[in-house]
Amino acid sequence: MADKPIPLFSRVVVALNGGPCDERIVRLVVETARPTKAEVVAIHVVEIDWTLPLDANVADRSESAQRVLDIADAAAEHLHGKLEPVLIQARDVGAAIVDEAVERAADLLVVGLPYRKRFGGDFAIGRTVPYVLKNAPCAVWVVREPMPGEIHA
Amino acid sequence: MIGGRRPLQGRKIGDRRVRVDRPHSPYFRYTGPGQLTARESTLAPKSGGGRAVERTRRLLFGRRLASEEEVYERLPKKLALPIFSSDAVSSSAYAPDEILIALFAGGVVALQFSVEMALAIALMLAVVSTSYRQVCRAYPSGGGAYAVAKENLGQVFGLIAAGALMIDYVMTVAVSTASAVAQAYSVWPGLYDWRIEIGLVSIALITIGNLRGLRESGNIFALPTYVFVGLALLMIGLGLARAMTGQLPSAPVPAQVPAPGAEALTIFLLLRAFAGGSVALTGVEAIANGVPAFKPPESRNAANTMTIMAVLLGVLFVGFMFLADVMGLRPAVAGGGPTAIAQLGSAIFGDGSPLFVALQVATALILFLAVNTSFNAFPRLAAILAGDGYMPRQFSFRGDRLAFSYGIVILAGVAGLLLVVFQGDTHLLIPLYSVGVFVCFTLSQVGMVRHWIADRGSGWWWRAAVNAFGGLLTLVVLLVVASVKFAGGAWLVLVLIPLLVVLFWFIHRQYATSTRELALRPDQVIAPLHREERVVVPINGLSRAVVQAVNVGLAISHDVRAVLVVDDHAYAEHVRDEWARQVPGVALVVVESPYRALTGPFLAYLDVLDQAWTPDKDAPITFVVIPEYVPRHWWERILYNQSTNQLRRALLGRPNTVITNVPYRGEEPAIFERRGRLDSHAPPDDPGG
Repeated sequence: MADKPIPLFSRVVVALNGGPCDERIVRLVVETARPTKAEVVAIHVVEIDWTLPLDANVADRSESAQRVLDIADAAAEHLHGKLEPVLIQARDVGAAIVDEAVERAADLLVVGLPYRKRFGGDFAIGRTVPYVLKNAPCAVWVVREPMPGEIHA
Repeated sequence: MIGGRRPLQGRKIGDRRVRVDRPHSPYFRYTGPGQLTARESTLAPKSGGGRAVERTRRLLFGRRLASEEEVYERLPKKLALPIFSSDAVSSSAYAPDEILIALFAGGVVALQFSVEMALAIALMLAVVSTSYRQVCRAYPSGGGAYAVAKENLGQVFGLIAAGALMIDYVMTVAVSTASAVAQAYSVWPGLYDWRIEIGLVSIALITIGNLRGLRESGNIFALPTYVFVGLALLMIGLGLARAMTGQLPSAPVPAQVPAPGAEALTIFLLLRAFAGGSVALTGVEAIANGVPAFKPPESRNAANTMTIMAVLLGVLFVGFMFLADVMGLRPAVAGGGPTAIAQLGSAIFGDGSPLFVALQVATALILFLAVNTSFNAFPRLAAILAGDGYMPRQFSFRGDRLAFSYGIVILAGVAGLLLVVFQGDTHLLIPLYSVGVFVCFTLSQVGMVRHWIADRGSGWWWRAAVNAFGGLLTLVVLLVVASVKFAGGAWLVLVLIPLLVVLFWFIHRQYATSTRELALRPDQVIAPLHREERVVVPINGLSRAVVQAVNVGLAISHDVRAVLVVDDHAYAEHVRDEWARQVPGVALVVVESPYRALTGPFLAYLDVLDQAWTPDKDAPITFVVIPEYVPRHWWERILYNQSTNQLRRALLGRPNTVITNVPYRGEEPAIFERRGRLDSHAPPDDPGG
């Protein structure tokens, strides 16, 4: 009898930022999750500044915010996988990602790390990734954007 | 508040977030700025009956396919050969019978010309296939007769080619199915009485397969062709070896063989036999049509495959005819007896032997593959014609499985009808077949001559000469086939092709006229209308639906009037009394109709309104707002809205008139009664209730 694959995770939260890396992350996670039928939750957080109420009609009226999740959903469907798309408004992106992972009892959190070509080129580590690394209640995968000249997956 | 959700508290104070509802996501996806893409769920039926139909549809035809799921397959030569040559190679299964039947009318002595006939047809095959090699090279995007003739000879000849091709595809389905069934009853004679039913079931199964999106692809389609060719070559090889050693037995004469004919052995008899055998060339053009499906270099691979196919077909055809001659074969298929190929197989492999049964099964399968070729080609041609505006646009719409469903169903219907009318008899169907095929050959070759003359590339003159010779030869054969088979049914095709061309032109003219009428001129921007509006609400009494329609009318214009056409004065008075209470401020016009008609008096009233309009002002837009009761169940629909449907039809095309339907949906009786009780507590002068 063939051994069943040992699941790396049973529920994964994937944070998407609308960048070029999103589709790559979704492909990676869906392909990894499919053999063990792990649950995939894709979240996109729209940051609301303090001049607006937190529940202002911003994300639901923003096509671009909706499109981030729709593209991810289509990519998953193309690979015959499924994901649950969740759109969130929050004051702080990192905190919202971590809180969503906590609430869903995720055992893996995946975030993308963008690469900026300006000023000689460097990874834009920003505030979100360090916050997630420090505060996530589970394993965190950071998937970096390909650097110029690198062969894409 | 978004989606009625409260902010969710995070782990730390101040970390709050809101989940945003995405109501579009079950039905649509945002795929670009201002662009939504519909998901399959938008097609999900909402009623129980609709869901049952959907389940049955899915079981029969499979799940719906999105456009992006279409598979474009490039074929290597070893797969392209069997897939594209099945139509041509399969014609070697019924062409020998046609020569033998025609010659047998001149008695047994006439049968000695069968090999010469086969050689003449093989020569013609060589010329036609050489000509088509040129088409493969000149049209790497696929050189169907329609495309070649349209581009080089003009639209009329293109349409003649299209009409001939359509008849050709229909006939391929009918003839190949009839012949496949004949191969079966050659082994199991009991099936003869069921030939029409078996043929119709086969066409139905192939139709369902094609509506499911069956493709000419994969090894499944290659296998029967290779098995047939392998077994047929084995049979010819064994037959030749036995003939050389003097061990070849004479073919047993089946009971169904008629008495030899007493017709004189004339040139006309020989021409008739040649015309019958020329059906062997049908399907030769398939490779030239499908050049883009070949692996690169497409043109060269297609041209080489064309040569291999022609050689194979030639060897099989001449081989069958040679063995038939040597073994003294008599044609029997017209009377329900075994086909020529079955008689040869039975004599060489042994009657009832596994090899004989395998040969017959493979022959039937390759004939069904030829049927499938037409099921792929006919809808595609119809879609191209629809795209060019010569066929109704429905033919270019793809069904749930990416198949051109309309074309598939029409092809199956017409071919099935032919099978029934001609009693599933291949011999009776053949005269209708060859004419269309040779019309296409001739137009295609002549078109190629024009192409080379215009092209003037290297070696253009000898390429043009090859096509000119091919065109001349196929024209001669066309004239021969059309004249000798005229009375046998070819006249029908000669009448049908011009009729189809006229039909194509008629459809094209209609579309061209409507396009001209609808076209926006680039030098003109249509300004918004600044005309006065008035609303007329036709009513049959006073009800919730009528009040709702009047309210919608008031939202359009302040000039609203209801028109009650009635033949009962007392009823009209009763409605008028209630009207003032329920819809105050809205005029009610009662039109008494002593002849009990509803639509005529209403239309006349609208005309009178128009005539009464101030002549120095532009005519107003009249909105006819029709109240409509929408029943809860489909079977209730016959009970309601018949008069409104009639009125709507009468109003269509009336100038300056807009028809607006205001549906009133039936509510649950319980809600209605509860609301009724509430209404009864409302003050009597409160119109809102």
